[in-house]
Amino acid sequence: MSVERHQIHEEDVGAYLLRALSDVEQRRFEAHLENCVVCQDEVSRLRPAVNALPRSVHPIAPPLSLKAKLMAEVERDVRERQEAAGVSRRPGAFAGVRRRLGGAFGSLRPTMAWVSASVVLLVGAASGAAGLYALTEATNEETPRSVVAQVDKTRVPFGSGSLVVPDGDQEGAVLQVHGMPELEGDSVYQLWVRRDGEVIPQSLFHVGENGAGAAAVIEKLQDVDVVMVTRESAGGAKAPSEKPVLSVKL
Amino acid sequence: MGHIDDIESLADEEVMHLVQDGNPRAFELLYERHGGAGFSLAYRMVGDRVVAEDISQEAFLSIWRSRHRYQPDRGSVRTWVLGIVHHRAIDALRRNLVHDRRRSSAEGIEERHEAPERERTDVVAARREDAQHVRSALGDLPDEQCRVIELAYFGGFSHSQIAEMLEMPIGTVKGRMRLGLEKLRTHLKEKVA
Repeated sequence: MSVERHQIHEEDVGAYLLRALSDVEQRRFEAHLENCVVCQDEVSRLRPAVNALPRSVHPIAPPLSLKAKLMAEVERDVRERQEAAGVSRRPGAFAGVRRRLGGAFGSLRPTMAWVSASVVLLVGAASGAAGLYALTEATNEETPRSVVAQVDKTRVPFGSGSLVVPDGDQEGAVLQVHGMPELEGDSVYQLWVRRDGEVIPQSLFHVGENGAGAAAVIEKLQDVDVVMVTRESAGGAKAPSEKPVLSVKL
Repeated sequence: MGHIDDIESLADEEVMHLVQDGNPRAFELLYERHGGAGFSLAYRMVGDRVVAEDISQEAFLSIWRSRHRYQPDRGSVRTWVLGIVHHRAIDALRRNLVHDRRRSSAEGIEERHEAPERERTDVVAARREDAQHVRSALGDLPDEQCRVIELAYFGGFSHSQIAEMLEMPIGTVKGRMRLGLEKLRTHLKEKVA
């Protein structure tokens, strides 16, 4: 990509994000964007400002008829799909999670698949990507369970999370979080488990700009009564330096 | 250990997993959480309840039918949903469906009724506070930057239309858009910190 070509497009970033370019200009800019790292960075950097704009709108209630019409369409769509497939059973609540977590490890034993998936999720989280969607294809028949986390809303108001636990020997659990603030400087989130009153350090992890992240529990969950997350300095800590911002009671 | 059968306690991203599995109950919950915000955005843009309802219905049906396209690493569920509503509203504005009924003022809404959302009260309270932050950050922008951003985002006008309306060069409009977004981003970060 030439410097001249970049200069032609660099002023378009704001208009592009606000959808103020014409269709032709938008296609040209998107073609440029594919190969221009500078503009890609600029788009990523400014996108949160555009994403914030709808949050400024004063809320008004939609008409009740909207939901009724919408759900009638959705239910009809579901019926048609079921008829087309010749089945009437509902998919299991975890079919998608199994599909997303299990596929890439289908040739491994179930437990090993979970541990491997955890490692990939951890790597994905550390690189700022929420890892679940990187994995596709369904083969693992193991049924995981999910336990919703309790969050200290005074410190992480938009945070949420859940611990996905494989059935069986309770090895290879993965904590998924959303809406967590990015930490400043070198600070990291640290995962802990408590067993027989002893708090044992686990993985460190970061969250991406969208507040999503994941971390693996290294220990087996046997006799663990709580899994928790604190914010620690770079490199982690040997003992929690604060009350958990998020915890999962088992 | 509790099983995940109470979907109302799930985070949006987890509800979205169920939606992607084709679960209509999860989709209903998704609508209950974000339908109000989507309708409010559409109404803010087009200034007409009937058109806003049509846009919202189209947008949510599109969300249902393209549910597999949601990628959590690209942003929150709410951002994704509102982005689709915004696209649909822009399309409607550019198809000229609402003609001169559209508004582009900073406020744009005369009647306000709180949209009840099926969320925990702490989440609703945090959203209200966040909305106040965004409004305040927008209010801190120089008028000329705020104006071009609002005309583009909420009015659905292209940069050339805005340049014509405000009688200024296109380059100036683009520059103000970019500078305004840059300042908005900085203000929002400062307010969060």
